[in-house]
Amino acid sequence: MKDLVHIFELEDLLQEANNPLVRQAKADGRRALGYTCYFMPEVLLDLPGCFSVRLRAPRSGSPDMATYYMTNRTCMYGRCLLERALEGGFNFLDAEMATETCTVTCRFQEHLQLMDIIKNPDFFCEFTDVPFKKNENSIDHYENQLRFHVLDKLKEHFDIDTSDEALLKAIEEHNEVCRLIQEIGSYRKLDEPTITGWEFSVIQLCTLVCPKYLIIDKLRDIAEQLKTRKPDAKKNYRVKVVLTGSEEDDPDFIKLIEECGALVVADRYCYGSLPGREEIVIKEGETPLRAIARHYLETSECPRFMDQHIMRQRKQYLADIAKEYKADGIIISQMKFCEYWSYERTIDTLIIPRDFGYPVCSIEKEYVNNAVGQLRTRFQAFVESIELKKIQKEG
Amino acid sequence: MAIGFKDIKAKYRELFVVEKSPEEKNKPKDIKKMAKDFWYGKPHEERRLGDLYVGNTGLYKHREWRGVKDTMYYFNMIWLYNYAHMVTDIMKYGGGPQGVVTFAKGTMRYRWMGQTYLTVMHWFDRGLEGTRGEAMKASAWHYRGMVSETIRQFMRMFEADKKLNGGEENETWKKTIAHNETLSGNIFYGWRDQLDDVALEMIPYFVSVHVNNHTVLNYIDAAQSIGLPADPCPMCQAEYGLFVQDDYPDYSPVMLTTNEACDGSVATSVLQDWFLNRPLYAMPQPMRYDDPLVQKNCQKEIEGAWKFVEENFGIKMDWDQYVKHAQNFNKLTEFEWEKWDVAANTPYYPITGVAQALYRIYYSQDGDRPIWHEMDAHVKRIMDKCVKNKIETFPKTRHRAIAWSCAPLYYSHWCTWAYNCWGINCVINMDSLMFDQYLRTDTYEHALEDLSWFNEKAPMRAMAVGGHEHILSLFDYMERFNCDMVIMYDQLQCKGMQGIHGVFEDEFRKRNIHAIWVPHALPDKRTVSRAEIRDIINDYMTTVMREEPLDPSLLDFDDGGSW
Amino acid sequence: MSKILKFFFKLLRIALLIYGILFAVFYYDLDGKFLYYIWEPLMIKRFDNMKRPDATAMPYSMKESVEDTSI
Repeated sequence: MKDLVHIFELEDLLQEANNPLVRQAKADGRRALGYTCYFMPEVLLDLPGCFSVRLRAPRSGSPDMATYYMTNRTCMYGRCLLERALEGGFNFLDAEMATETCTVTCRFQEHLQLMDIIKNPDFFCEFTDVPFKKNENSIDHYENQLRFHVLDKLKEHFDIDTSDEALLKAIEEHNEVCRLIQEIGSYRKLDEPTITGWEFSVIQLCTLVCPKYLIIDKLRDIAEQLKTRKPDAKKNYRVKVVLTGSEEDDPDFIKLIEECGALVVADRYCYGSLPGREEIVIKEGETPLRAIARHYLETSECPRFMDQHIMRQRKQYLADIAKEYKADGIIISQMKFCEYWSYERTIDTLIIPRDFGYPVCSIEKEYVNNAVGQLRTRFQAFVESIELKKIQKEG
Repeated sequence: MAIGFKDIKAKYRELFVVEKSPEEKNKPKDIKKMAKDFWYGKPHEERRLGDLYVGNTGLYKHREWRGVKDTMYYFNMIWLYNYAHMVTDIMKYGGGPQGVVTFAKGTMRYRWMGQTYLTVMHWFDRGLEGTRGEAMKASAWHYRGMVSETIRQFMRMFEADKKLNGGEENETWKKTIAHNETLSGNIFYGWRDQLDDVALEMIPYFVSVHVNNHTVLNYIDAAQSIGLPADPCPMCQAEYGLFVQDDYPDYSPVMLTTNEACDGSVATSVLQDWFLNRPLYAMPQPMRYDDPLVQKNCQKEIEGAWKFVEENFGIKMDWDQYVKHAQNFNKLTEFEWEKWDVAANTPYYPITGVAQALYRIYYSQDGDRPIWHEMDAHVKRIMDKCVKNKIETFPKTRHRAIAWSCAPLYYSHWCTWAYNCWGINCVINMDSLMFDQYLRTDTYEHALEDLSWFNEKAPMRAMAVGGHEHILSLFDYMERFNCDMVIMYDQLQCKGMQGIHGVFEDEFRKRNIHAIWVPHALPDKRTVSRAEIRDIINDYMTTVMREEPLDPSLLDFDDGGSW
Repeated sequence: MSKILKFFFKLLRIALLIYGILFAVFYYDLDGKFLYYIWEPLMIKRFDNMKRPDATAMPYSMKESVEDTSI
């Protein structure tokens, strides 16, 4: 396929957290607000006067200093973030809007509070409590939390306009990004997708780590090009897969899977678009903040939700995605030491093939992915096994 | 193969004969001293408790001679009394002599029961090793309370258990509430006259690990055998294994669960849902629990749990019952505060570190039950006597230690060893300081408010979540309890504690505090053995503290095969 | 009278004997040794050989919410 417009430029933007567009937005006088989790609604951090940056630690090596603080028995994502912070890589942040949604990222953010790591006199780190259920009580609670710990703090520290009008505008801009990402992502549903998993992950990640107002035009260009983009004459993949699992912000990992012959057609993981890029709908009689609170709780498929029917529905959601995106199999990837996904992955690995009929490749990986050779072997074997099953079926 | 006389003699020596060192053998006999030792027991430094063990089994060649008075007390009031009560409790809670049959069925069906519970007197022995006088008596009462309550719970489970009753959903099954062990029993006070609540995991793997840590390894292995990685909290792994091995009793039509204490506990809710496959209510607690804004949410979740119980059992919550039990529980809390006061400010506190920790966590999790009041009355009498008569219960104390973070379940009695060997007296521990909440009952609103606070301060949670200031409160407690040393548990699979490891290192250095890191893997002794834990403490005491052991026989011994 | 006394002393002797035996069991940790060397291996054998259903075969299908969301 012809190269996607802007794709290499976007790839470059992922090489560091403080990328040129972040610097540009800072130069425009906007406040950079860091966060790590979907439960910190990025739309609130994209209010006029500020912008959201979902934290990554690209090109990380060995997080030695962070390992002193957090030992080598914690998730490497959390450690790499702390290492990057200790190295000064997050000094551009004006605030960290934190959530205690998984233990290690919480501890990382607590270190920011405790140790005066971010060399920015304005910096503060504020925690929001996120509920574990999706009922009305939880939505009320979440709404209160967002008002007090996000909106009020932004107003107090940076005089950000947090009025309903400002929120409506932020929602509108956010929805446009979502529409574009959905449109771009929809080409993965084709029988012969016209966008690769790697390309899509680069684009999706950029929407999370760059000021949206500076990349929206690029998204529009990409969407436009995709309307007419033709697949390669000769299919260069053997099977289509859904990638699901814990935190994943490394497009090279997607590339690795695709090099093994498995086209990644759906991204149901932290930092992915499924869920994450659904438009926020304001119901009649709802305030914008209420709609945001409801939206983020209702759309999330995080394994920390505990309502009985939601725990079960998560499995169905994954199978539904696989069906919708015409996937042949599912790769479940878990960041080593991620407590939630250790269980979710193990259970899904047993349930999904048995109850939903999708073959599963279940892997554990580190944030700094040094086990490329082993993983390649696993993925190649998985692709072959799916092909064999197809042949057996046809036979 | 023929067994010869030599073999029998060797076996006899191995099992019963305490070998004396050549120096001791050559010592001239001092009859007066021997008589004194017989009557009063040997002085601490001469006890050589380590010589009493049979190989690596943890069994004794003979139980410790504590002097006539204490040995006879131990024999009559601890050993005989508890064995006898183990039988009478089974009948008491099992509805008469037929309780013995129910007990036998459970023993033959469940590994955690059959392999574990009869070894309970050795649990006493390990926890009470070296103790004398009032410390021995008071600590033993705590153990007695735990054993009795354990029997009550497993008898209720067995009586209701569909698996033991041919798949029948009997009346007891229909009237029993199953809940996660980290969900406090006080949530169910409103039904205590009509229903009973029993925590699902408390007996099958939490208590059982303390009594006999062999069984839990099967469950951990079972969990990993179907793909679970080895790094998640092994407690949660054990729960998974219990399900995988179909070794949980089916004793209730419902399940109530919670997110306490950690991510792993949230994750195991899926397991409970999957394997139990019955109505399940999750009652999560907010993480940032200091935040005044979260309280309403927490209270509504409690009300949601109540509504769930009402709907599933068709019985309204009885407010008067709630008030009665909450007020009773407050009496336990008041006595706990009294105990803390004595422990913090005097050398007369008569409870060993292990008895303090286990009893506190057990009763506060379980909620108001008659046995706790009975035990507290015994302990109060002893403690008052110690204070009044200024009895130094741990006279060889060199260091007053506070134990922080979660303890190794397979070696919760490390503190008994540490006192006997080094004079390290573990005065208080983190788990004891949880649930520090008085329950008001004057109005419904106050009751709900306090109940939510109570549950937010649950074990391994009050300190471990909701902000670093909670875990760093160690230093305030250290001061409050007049401690000069920290035993810092290093649960290798606890992400929350691993995630703040370096901050503690920095603080210990900055504050010039003697802190000994004790690595462990909660119930799994294979990761860090008990001997390794002792080695770490020994090394610190000799190389950093430059101290000599009180009882050198306890420095190095093998108990790898012990319960 | 002497018969009653005799019976009483006999009873006392038996009680003392039992008490003495129990003390020996206690002091020499015979209960522990029995449980460790005989009881536990038997139990291990029993539980290792016990037939267990495949618990993971339990279906995990959709379910309605158990709670009223208006709470």
